[in-house]
This record gives sequence, structure tokens and C-alpha cells, in this order.
Amino acid sequence: MIVTYNWLQDFVDIRLSPEQLADKLTLAGLEVVSCKHIGGDVVFEIEITSNRPDWLSVYGVAREVAAITGEKLKLGDRCSVLGTRAKHPAPSTKNLITIQDKKDCPYYSYRIIRNLQIKPSAADIARRLELANLRSVNCVVDLTNYLLFETGQPMHAFDLDKLSLEQGIIVRRATQKEKLVTIDGIERQLNPDILVIADNLKPLAIAGVMGGKDTEVTSATKNILLETAVFDSILVRRMRQKLALQSEAAYRFERGVDLAATPRVSLECASLIAKCSNGKLAEFKESGSKKIADRYVTLETDLVNRALGIQITAKECKSILTALGFTVKNKSASLQVKIPSFRQDVKKEVDLIEEVARIYGFDRILSSLPKISPQQASVLDLTAYLKEILFALGLNETITYSLIDKASLTKLKINLTPVEIRNPLSKEQEILRPTILTGLLNCVAHNLNQKQNQISLFEIAKIFHADDRANPVEQPVLGIALCGERTLLLDQGVVKDVFGLLHMKGILETVFSRLGIKGFAITPLTVSKDEFIIQAGAQELGRVFLPADAQLDAFEIKNKKVFLAQLDLTKLFSLAQMEKKFLPAAKYPQITRDMSFIVKDDLAVSRILEAISALGQPLENVKIVDYYRGKQIPKGFRALTISCIYRSNQRTLTEEDVSSIQEKAVRLLVDSFGVKMR
Amino acid sequence: MDINLISAQIKEELDKIVSCDQLEALRLKYLGRKGVIAELTGSIPAVNPQERGAFGKAVNALKQQLFVSLEEKQRSLGVSKAPAPESAETDLGMPGIAQELGHKHPITGIIDQVCGIFSQMGFKVLEGPEIETEHNNFTGLNIPLEHPSRDAFDTFYLKDYEKLLLRSHTSPMQVRAMAKSKPPLAIVVPGRVYRPDAVDASHLFMFHQIEGLMVDQGVKFSDLKGVLEVFVKAVFGKDVAMRFRPHFFPFTEPSVEVDISCIICKGKGCSVCGRKGWLEILGAGLVHPNVFQQAGYDAKKFSGFAFGMGVERIAMLKYGINDIRLFFENDLRFLKQF
Repeated sequence: MIVTYNWLQDFVDIRLSPEQLADKLTLAGLEVVSCKHIGGDVVFEIEITSNRPDWLSVYGVAREVAAITGEKLKLGDRCSVLGTRAKHPAPSTKNLITIQDKKDCPYYSYRIIRNLQIKPSAADIARRLELANLRSVNCVVDLTNYLLFETGQPMHAFDLDKLSLEQGIIVRRATQKEKLVTIDGIERQLNPDILVIADNLKPLAIAGVMGGKDTEVTSATKNILLETAVFDSILVRRMRQKLALQSEAAYRFERGVDLAATPRVSLECASLIAKCSNGKLAEFKESGSKKIADRYVTLETDLVNRALGIQITAKECKSILTALGFTVKNKSASLQVKIPSFRQDVKKEVDLIEEVARIYGFDRILSSLPKISPQQASVLDLTAYLKEILFALGLNETITYSLIDKASLTKLKINLTPVEIRNPLSKEQEILRPTILTGLLNCVAHNLNQKQNQISLFEIAKIFHADDRANPVEQPVLGIALCGERTLLLDQGVVKDVFGLLHMKGILETVFSRLGIKGFAITPLTVSKDEFIIQAGAQELGRVFLPADAQLDAFEIKNKKVFLAQLDLTKLFSLAQMEKKFLPAAKYPQITRDMSFIVKDDLAVSRILEAISALGQPLENVKIVDYYRGKQIPKGFRALTISCIYRSNQRTLTEEDVSSIQEKAVRLLVDSFGVKMR
Repeated sequence: MDINLISAQIKEELDKIVSCDQLEALRLKYLGRKGVIAELTGSIPAVNPQERGAFGKAVNALKQQLFVSLEEKQRSLGVSKAPAPESAETDLGMPGIAQELGHKHPITGIIDQVCGIFSQMGFKVLEGPEIETEHNNFTGLNIPLEHPSRDAFDTFYLKDYEKLLLRSHTSPMQVRAMAKSKPPLAIVVPGRVYRPDAVDASHLFMFHQIEGLMVDQGVKFSDLKGVLEVFVKAVFGKDVAMRFRPHFFPFTEPSVEVDISCIICKGKGCSVCGRKGWLEILGAGLVHPNVFQQAGYDAKKFSGFAFGMGVERIAMLKYGINDIRLFFENDLRFLKQF
């Protein structure tokens, strides 16, 4: 909404500088977003919230200025630069107005002005329109626009001689076949959702949105029909959306115009047009009701004070509301407030409390702190705990879009039914992702592109499934991506630690262990070499993926290996066992025996460890402590060192206690697994 | 060799030293591998056994004295210098060895900080679904389905699922929280929200919000002011000023937008605040009685306040980030700064 400083002065004396006024308006809820000095006037651009159509006019803003500054609002036409206005003859019966449905159009009126001469507007009117970003056309069109800005009432002038009014004006829904070229020169296909103003032959205008090109006022126009009406706000909104057509008129009808002021504004406009164009006011016709039932809301001063935490008197409340155009009667602290017709937004007592608060000033309300009752404590936030584990493992947190394009699923050969979006703006918003992997792969690709060589990322977010036809499912997951290598500059020199499957295993293992989840296992999927199941005992919690080169290529990742994992967090957290129980440290010392041997590459170490573990007491633990594959070892073999830890919980073990079982272990290795001891 | 003589000589030489290089040269002369002290130490076995003990002690004392003098001199020169590699076990000029930690995304960082502040005040942190019903997203919050106030909440709808949508704000959790429990209620809700906005440096189709709601008997606007003041001062600093501008939200009445004095220009007016000196950081208000009515709360008995803020906006202001898209690009050079 644009208003100017001088224009406001037509209706209220302002004793503040434009900048001070801008501040005051902002703090009263009319946010001044810019304030520009242009040729002797100051143009304010104000953001008006959708609940306040009464502020979509210079007069409405002036009313607010008067209330804020304690000035009197100057009423009546003498105040306006437009000068005094004529009287119009009483309604005639000669022409008809037919309103098909009063719900669409509660009130319609027109005034006919004959024998006019189309002239340019007076300079001060043209100037103000220009400041409001409107082009000056001629005195007729300009006056409808001027009064639209001044009063908030949209009006439209038709060239009377281009209308076939044998059956009068008809306000009706368009038919499926009708078309109309609007003033902007675009042909619009109409349909029964569109309300039109029509004569007996054709649609003339899209009601409340835009007039037709054929019937617009031109320099040749001699007689006009000036329409002033009120249209249903929801209907105008729908038409505006369907036609993708915004106009100053639609903007106001959609928010609601003041029906009570409509006849007066119509008369003002008609008489001013007649005056400036030497025309003669002729027939006036109206249809529909302009009566609005009086509405009253009771305001208890005590409630104002309780809601805001202030001490204000009934008298102060009354004076604020009166300044804003409310009529207030009060007995003691209870105010009977009559709501003016231009304040359809005020329905409840709280709406009046807001009015009092606005003018009283939110800055004058002193801060207090509420008493907050202790709530039931939330359970331990496992997500936050999980993130701490992942940070400590060197993984960086990412946040990627939940909306993705369908094609990225194809790229990754993922065959899942996604939840689709009905109204995406672009194909990047087609579906809700059924997997977290595509987002992570995009991050990997981006970072490779930026020449990053150590990429270790995770994201904790929801994925979405459409498996259930009644309700889509939201599933929180953890996604991990590893690519590249870690470079460790150690005392002995540089160690390049290239990310592999074992790094992924290490991360998952740590997560499981820290969450107290037993039975971690990662096993290859039988049908695919590039996919592994992450398990806790028999339960599947997620998968590890090694995308094939072609899949990575689709994400523009070339000559790199990427290791991905996705874990179901609901399942993971349901297994978490965060209760701790202290175990005392072992009482008796351990004896450690290492065995180094060479073994065939294709023999899984887990089998060896299991077999030795089975030897049982006093063997406490078996673990791999060294591993080598290279020069001194024949091809197809690897060197392993296994450490056996022996301990008794009854006494200190001796060498003899251990040597016999250690021998058994060696025999087991040689006999069952064909290893060669080193 | 006369130890006293050497000691005097050292003192004399030390007095003349004016630079670190000179000091290092002196250190090498006496304490180097082939230095004077090493020579003295090497000569100990040659000393006759009666004097050997005393001589050894004297050499050692000289050496200790030398360390002390060197250190004093180094301090007086005002510059500390890492010991040269050939004489020390570890060259401290080499990079330190440590496990590299991962970084928390700045959005998570802000959410944790903000929710932490409210938690300390007694608010409970909740999360809600991202797929919502029309009722929870709109009607339950007193937003009519066909009204210009909907324009601020353009929404993604789901295909194949009647009346389901992606929440366009975190406020639906107000409806859910009130449906689930009776007052008193004090919650904060962080989460992702979605709006079909054209993408540019300050708009995206997905971003994060934090919602707050408190309902009890006798909750008043001044309480909202107090709680938000605690939050603003904790996040933006003690000297930041705050102002409340009347605004309109269908689910609160009165409604306000909250500005803080620009943290860049301290309120003087700059490009970040659009020369206004103020930065809008959140919307708030007292819960509208229609919202209570829909939730089955007695609006005569209970009152409450609600607020909502954009997490990206706060992160951008706090860290000086000028493009919202950076948060979702996940460039490691960006992530590792937080």
C-alpha cells in the first residue's frame, strides 16, 4: 500500500516529520518498508496485514495517524483536494440490475454520466497517482483510481454506448464457452467459476477483478456507466487464483471492502467525474442490500490488564477505541463497544485488547517471567547422543533436502514407491525421498568437485514411504557416507588411510557398542555383492551399500569408491540399552600368548577366532593384533598375529596352566585351518 | 679446566647477547653435542678419583646454572623459540597428532542452543511429523482455508493422499500438543518445514523453524516479553535491544513481530537491516481463543503465548551467512567452520 505525506494531510494534521511518522506507524502495526522524498512529497510504502483491508486506503491510514498522534480526523469532502461534491438524483427505475446470486454480489449500483468530454486529469491528481505507481490515463479513469486509493472502494467505468442494456446489467456466472479480452489485452477463457458483469449480449468485465477491453473508456467516450459494487471475497480470491490475475480491485475485494461506505463513495466519484468532464449526472440504480447489522462487543478493562500485564483505566481504553472509530459506552470498567462497518476483523474481545495494546504501545508493557510448572522430564535424547558419537568418529553432519527428483532414484537403481508431491515448483521437488542415500551422494559429489579428499558425512533425518495406501510413513534414519582417505601425519611419517568397508564397520560397531546393543553383525546380501545387511542378532537394522561405478557416474562421481549406510533409527533406539552395571576389574593377572602364522586369503578370520574361542576356560579373549599382506608373504596368503588372553577368576595362572591349552590352539590352527606357523 | 673461569666467561658472554640467534649460538657452544659442557662431562673419568666426585658435581651445577641463565636470557629477550630439532626429542613445529572430530551442522547448532535456553526455563522439547493434515496446519490454528491470510502459507500437498500436506510451519505441533495433554503446557518444537517458494539467496522450499507454546492460568503478554528477552540476550548478547511490532497471525491475538537492534550496525542502519537499524527475528502473540476452543481448552480459564522463529534466519544473522542455500550444499569447507 502506498500513501503520501501530503495526501494524508488532506485528512489529518501531522505535526511529525515523515521519518517520525514512519516509526510511529511501524510500531502501530503498519510497517513502513520505505519512506522516499520525491518532489515536495514523501511516499510511504506500507506493508498491510491481510486482516486490515481498512488500511488499504489513504483515509484508513489517516484514521490511524489521527489515533496515534491524538489529532482529529478531518471528515467530509471539503478537506480533500478534490473539492466539494454534487448531489445525485434519487434512484431511477428505468434500467434494471439483475443479480443472479446475492451471495456472489451482495450489492451492485451504477450511475450514468452523460455528455461528458474526456480530458486529462488535473496536475495534482495525476501527480499523486504517479507517486502511487499508477499511470494517468484520463480524468474518468484517474478519478476511479484516485478514489480507490483514497477510500479503498474499487470502481469501474464502462463506455455506456458500447453496452446493450435492453435487459440492464446482469451479474452472473460465465458459461463454459464464453471469452473476454480484459483491459490488459489478454483473452481470458471463462467458465462457471467466474463471476462476470454482462449485458444482454456478452460479458463486460470479470467482477471485482478487471474490466473488458471492448467497453473501456477511451478519448472518444461520450457517456459512461460507473459501477460501484461489493463482491464475495472468497469468490474474488478464487477467480484471481484461477486466472492468475492480480489487480488493485481484486486485492481489496479479496480482503473485504466497507459496504456501508460504498454508496457515498459512488456518489463522490460520479459527481467528481461530472464536474471535471462537464458531464451530467443521469440515472442511478442500485440493487442488493447495503444494510449491515450493528455489532457490539463487550470489553472488560480488567481482562485487558490481565492479558497484557499492565494497569490501564477504562477511560484510557475508551479514548483509544474512540480514536480508532469505535463507539464506546461504559458503565464502570465494562465497555460496550460498537464495531464500525469497516472493522469486520474485530469479532471478539481479544481483538479489542489488541487494539488497545497497539495504541498503548507494546514497548510500554514491562517484562515479567511466568511460573513454569516442571514438566515430565523427557527421556534421554538418543539422537543427540548418537550425534556426539558420530562427531567423535570424525563424521561431519549434513542436512539435505527431503524433497528430491524421481530420476535420482532411477540413478541409484532404487525401486521404492515414493510419496509424490501434487504441486511441485520444479522437478527437484517431485517426491519425498524414500532413501537418505541420494542426498548424501550429492554431498559427496559436491565435495569431490571442491577437491576435498577426506569425505566422511552423516545425516539424521526422515525418509518417507508410500507403502501404506491410507497413510504415508515417516521413518527417521541415519545415513553415512565415506569417500576418499584420511591422511595421518604420524611420528613415523605419512600414513594414507583409504576409506573402506572396514571403516564403515568400525563406525557402526562403535555406534552399536556405545548404545549398548549386542550382537552386531554385518553380512553380505546373497543376491548382491554390493550390499550388506547390518544386524543386531537376527534383526535387520539397515544396509551398507557400495554403489557400482555406473551408479556413481550418474551422480557425477568418477573413479572413486563410496561407502554408504542407512540405519533405521526407530529400531536402533528401541534396542538401545543405556543402563550401566559396574563390573569390578579382574582380580588376578592375565597371561598373554601371541601366535603368528600365514593363512590362505580366502579363509575368514572370524572362523579361526570362533574355533579358538571355543577352547574355553581359562581362555578369556582372542583377538587379532597384527595383519600383513605383502612382499614377504606368498601370493594368496596373509600373515596374522592372534593374541590369546588367559585368566582365571580364582587364582593367578602359571605358565604350565597356559601352555597345554596354547598348544591345543596351535594344533587347531595347523590341523583345521592349514596355517603355517611363523 | 677451571670451572669458575668458564662460569665467569659464560656470564660475560651472556651479558653481551642481544638476539635469539646469538643466544642459540651460545647454547650450542656450551650445551651442544660437542660443546664445552659435553667436553667437561667427557673428561670426568680422567679426573683423579679423589677429586672426581666434586668435579662431577661442579660440572653438573654449571650445567644447571647454564640452563637457568639461558632461560632467563631468553625471557629477557622477550621471544620464546621452539627448541631446534637436532637437540630436542620432538620438533614442536610439526603438526600435532589428534583424532579429527566431526562438525555439527550450524542449523543443528542453533536448534540445540535455542532449545537449550528454553529447556533451562522449563520448556520441554518435542518433535512432530513433517506430513500433516489440513486441520492441524490450518483450521485448527484458526486459518481459514480460503482467505488471504493463507497466502503467507503456500503449501505443498501430497498426491494420492487426500488433505495431507507438508507442514508449512511448526505451529501444527501446537494443535497436537494441546490435543494430547491438558494445561499447564510449555513446549518448544524444532523441525523442518516446507513451502513452495522460488529459490534465491534468502528463500528455499525447505527450512527449519522453532515453535514455542506456553499455556497455563494467568499467562500474560508481559510473560511472553520476559521469556523472549531471556532468549534474545542469550543468543545475541546482553546489549541487544528488542522491540515488538503489532502484526497479524490468525492463531494469536494480539500478534506481534519481534525485532532486535541490528547486530551488524548496532542500530545505525546498514545493508543487512535495510537501513532500518532493526532485524526481524520472530513472530509471537497470545494464543487466539479460537485455537483454544478447537483444542477443547477453556479459553476463559487458560491463557497462553506462542512464538515461532526461522532457524536459518537466526544462523545467517549470527554467523554472517548471506545465502541460505549454503546450509544445504554441505560443503566441508563450510561445515568445518562450525
